[in-house]
Amino acid sequence: MVHLKNLTPELKPIAFQIEAIAKDAGLDFFEVVFEGHDARDVNALAAYSGFPVRYASWRFGMEYERLEKGYAWGLSKIYELVINNDPTYAYLVRSNSLLEQKLVIAHVFGHADFFKHNVWFSPTERKMVDLMEAHSIRVRRYIEAVGQEEVERFLDLAMALDNLTDPFLPLRELRSGKPKRTGGNQSERARAAFEAVSDGSIRRLPEPQAYDGPSKPPTFDILGFLAEAADLEPWQRDIVRIVRAEAYYFMPQRMTKIMNEGWASFWHSRIMTRAVAGPDEIIDFADCHSGATMASPGQLNPYKMGIELFRHAERAGMDLFHMRAVHNDTSFIDAIIDEEFAERHGLYVYGKNQRTGRVEVVDRDWTKVKNQLLTNLTWGGLPQIELLEADYEGRGELYLNHRHDGRDLQLDSAAKTLEQVLQLWGRPVHLLTQEEGQGRLLSADEDGVQVYETDENGDIPSQPDDADDDARQAS
Amino acid sequence: MYRIERDRSRFREIVRGRIREDLRKYLSSTELLGRRGDKTVSIPVPQIELPRFRFGDNKKQGVGQGPGKKGQPVDGDAQDGDGAGGAGENAGQHILEVDVELEELAEMLGNELELPNIEPRGDRLLSADGGRYTGIRSTGPKSLRHFRRTYKNALQRTIASGDYDPLKPRVVPIREDERMRWRKENPRPESSAVIFHIMDVSGSMGREQKDIVRIKAFWIDTWLRSQYDNLEVVYIVHDAVAKVVDQDTFFHLRESGGTKISSAYDLCLAQIQERFRPEDWNIYPFHYSDGDNWSARDTERCVGLLRDEILPRVNQFCYGQVKSAYGSGQFKKDLDGSLEDSERLVTANVDDREGIAEAIRTFLGKGR
Repeated sequence: MVHLKNLTPELKPIAFQIEAIAKDAGLDFFEVVFEGHDARDVNALAAYSGFPVRYASWRFGMEYERLEKGYAWGLSKIYELVINNDPTYAYLVRSNSLLEQKLVIAHVFGHADFFKHNVWFSPTERKMVDLMEAHSIRVRRYIEAVGQEEVERFLDLAMALDNLTDPFLPLRELRSGKPKRTGGNQSERARAAFEAVSDGSIRRLPEPQAYDGPSKPPTFDILGFLAEAADLEPWQRDIVRIVRAEAYYFMPQRMTKIMNEGWASFWHSRIMTRAVAGPDEIIDFADCHSGATMASPGQLNPYKMGIELFRHAERAGMDLFHMRAVHNDTSFIDAIIDEEFAERHGLYVYGKNQRTGRVEVVDRDWTKVKNQLLTNLTWGGLPQIELLEADYEGRGELYLNHRHDGRDLQLDSAAKTLEQVLQLWGRPVHLLTQEEGQGRLLSADEDGVQVYETDENGDIPSQPDDADDDARQAS
Repeated sequence: MYRIERDRSRFREIVRGRIREDLRKYLSSTELLGRRGDKTVSIPVPQIELPRFRFGDNKKQGVGQGPGKKGQPVDGDAQDGDGAGGAGENAGQHILEVDVELEELAEMLGNELELPNIEPRGDRLLSADGGRYTGIRSTGPKSLRHFRRTYKNALQRTIASGDYDPLKPRVVPIREDERMRWRKENPRPESSAVIFHIMDVSGSMGREQKDIVRIKAFWIDTWLRSQYDNLEVVYIVHDAVAKVVDQDTFFHLRESGGTKISSAYDLCLAQIQERFRPEDWNIYPFHYSDGDNWSARDTERCVGLLRDEILPRVNQFCYGQVKSAYGSGQFKKDLDGSLEDSERLVTANVDDREGIAEAIRTFLGKGR
């Protein structure tokens, strides 16, 4: 079913027509609600990652400011936003031309199908709009109870750590038969909470959400570990859980950006050219389509890369619907990219020439290109950091390890992040990593962050008594 | 949308806090120049980043597509720029422009430099702020008739004349009963000011010297704009001759040649006499030069002009001497020496950008 809100009536039969074509072609989705908004409101929604309500944070305001300026200066324009939810909400900018609306509607059905069927999305909360609202209500209660600054500071702390998660954990849990982390009656709970707040019957803080067991070291789900094992106030614990729940909700989108955009573009292109666009619209369609799938030098456009991957797969006679269900970006690229693909699309590896400081083409060998792509996309494009020990040397200290893949961490930022972990955990924390091939141990305690050189075992070579002189102050 | 506006204003609050902290930096950089609108200044601030574990740049490689042989530079930096609002990986690198009210920026400046508010000289122009319909008159258009007042008058008249019958009340207003609303003007003092930015553009004033002048002029304008409802700015450049120019020319012109400062003072005086009567205007000439003048005789003439003609007409005359490689810096000494006792003359040395804040404080610190 399709619903239209706040859009011109002429779009209604068009949306129904496109839906019917999409279904005929084999796409399958939850109910889709198309909402018309003006550009400003779509920017606001985009700042909230597509949700009408998020908890209070200046970071969303900053994003909004950025989008508004970009829009005002004509640098960027959002045509559409879709969110993974049941029903699937899609926001269309009312000022889009009729042709643009058609294209965008077809594009949205592609995303909606992908959300419903791609396996990485299967563990995600499908009532996320409600859950986000519940989160916002809870955070508001905490602000009322302990004050804006206090909550804000703690939220910033938790958000800085929101990529310390295990992208594969939700699917693993789902496969092992554990119940979904956030129960199915989420919407009812959210509504109850909302009503209780609005009629003033709740005076005490809402109960932190139940959570099924902490992640134990060794784990990549450091945020999950901290949420349960750290010594926190109940409201703080709940905020870490909120940040974590939202991080896990967004993670599959990180992992499937190329596929997701590729699938949607593949279908809008097919639906438009084969059925919807009239002869008088085809030039405008081509213009609009090529604007979105344009490849510019030194950039990887996920729309372009994605649509070409699906076309390549189709030419090779592969089952596209199966592929969109089982792959994420890394496994998809691994399965599709071959020499012909790399050559046809002129792919190359670029890098900074250390001598000249210029960004240059480094290699055109297709295996190198593929490897580079896989490296960059693995783990959602984030550094892999695991918690090895929670009671390091029996002192209750955390020991983190960065699984080094050839790319160094930005050490300044890593040191600052480590201090955030320290603030949450309350006891010293350590991170083992490398810099230019040299092992480094970053240790954060209340006196700041020290950086030590380590040997190949990750140990600090025994030092004379004046060891402190060798330690380098990092922050 | 209400919620996002709340988040945005919280963000702006945080940014303003940072600008306040970094005001000294802005006081010595050209960053804000040309960013002033009518009411706001748009200030570039780096996006505030949360610390995160992220990859460094040293070995960062990516995949692109397009032509180009091995070793050929990639056009345009590799950046995130996908059409329909995808979140970029490097979202932290952006520079944001944040609009700050001129008033607010001036307030920050005032707090930072501890500037006193200016007491405008004497009573100035009276202006009306549009006025409100709070007055009553017996004449005026019918559309402004005040019904209650009119009826009351008619009732009083009817009763007084004995025609009033409580059982059959009949009140007919006549022309004399009518009362009309009237616009009452609220006169309030309005203060007007004019700034003369006079700059020596002779060969010895280099780029850096001009930048210093620009920065100073920007902040002085900002401050005075916050103090006066109506501010005019006149730009004068001079080498051996002086002329009035527009703002753009003022900041970009590069002349070369000799320096005859009196030419500029003559022109400034002529402007005051023709356009800005001291009875109506608070007048602030600012003169910037590297201190080299054509001749001692011309300097004498300048001193005379200042003492007899200009200083009596202005709130304050400020002379800022910008250090340059070629300037002798003699002019300031001469002024200080000859006009030592004049309160309305303020002189300051600006050796480099760091000295700008101090010079502004010297100029504006008297609250005159």
